[in-house]
Amino acid sequence: MGDSVLYFDDVVIGDEAPVRSHKLTRTDLVIYAGASGDFNPMHHDEVRAKAAGQPSVFGHGMFSMGLLGSAISDYVGVGNIRHFRVRFARQTWPDEELETRIVVRDKRNEGTVAVIDLDVRLVNANGEEKVVGEATAAVATRS
Amino acid sequence: MTELWDQARYGAQRAIQPAAHRAANGAEIGEEPGMAEDLLDGIVGKPAGTTVVTVERGQLQLFADAVKERSPIYRNARAANDAGLPAIPAPPTYPFVMGMFGVYPELQPGDQPDENPMTKVLSTLLAGGGMILHGEQEFTYHRPVLAGDVLVGTASVVDAYRKESKGRTMTFVVVETAWNEQATGDPVCTSRMNIMHRS
Repeated sequence: MGDSVLYFDDVVIGDEAPVRSHKLTRTDLVIYAGASGDFNPMHHDEVRAKAAGQPSVFGHGMFSMGLLGSAISDYVGVGNIRHFRVRFARQTWPDEELETRIVVRDKRNEGTVAVIDLDVRLVNANGEEKVVGEATAAVATRS
Repeated sequence: MTELWDQARYGAQRAIQPAAHRAANGAEIGEEPGMAEDLLDGIVGKPAGTTVVTVERGQLQLFADAVKERSPIYRNARAANDAGLPAIPAPPTYPFVMGMFGVYPELQPGDQPDENPMTKVLSTLLAGGGMILHGEQEFTYHRPVLAGDVLVGTASVVDAYRKESKGRTMTFVVVETAWNEQATGDPVCTSRMNIMHRS
């Protein structure tokens, strides 16, 4: 990871990035709360989440987007993402296995820059979509 | 943004509040749509705050760890340089949390709006129950955010609208923050968030 460079010349529409999988824990959410400054109790306080009618604490939407963003940037090359947009479809829950799904939808030139467009999703082991969106990256060329 | 989550903290306790209980407390159900109409009027185009942020390497590493990012590029300056970057970069979603850290009081601009219009709308709605949800998030990057950057983030409300679905009212507020280099004014990235209140 990080050692192999993605070259525009090698990209084929339909290519899929390596799937990255992570099992969500409550500790993950505590760590993310501290690193993001988002102390909404729904994400770290089980007692208050249940009192609000939720089955348990659930993940920050931006934590999911962060997981997905990490997989995207490692695939296209760190620093190469130009655009990244998602909608938050479903909550994530502790013990869920979250998986990235990144598929090349298009490759094109924007002036002198070689660009690829990706369909991106974070899903659970049942294929339920948590986060759905798209990303565009300027990638390296061989020539 | 801090104020919004403060409101959300208290809002969680009011998330379950039957309409009957609200009526008993004196709130007129019939009046609510009218009040909501006033809330959104004129909000589009309003400024939502300006923040000067100093991006710090330690904070970037902490955030990379938090989103399970394993690449040495986010931790090791030499690895970042080998990858063609002048400094350690921020992970892609870092601009969303950027305004929470490295906000040195002595660098902040003096003239700020009294309140964030998005926070005002959503916390007012939350006082009547319901939940705040992050609906959509979008980033546009002109260049990677880098350790050492001093950036100015200027936020404004760019859209506000309402939808009815299954007997619930959903109120959306869209805030866009443009982050530019303080020294040159050059754009670095733009962050656009769609936050909604669901009754």
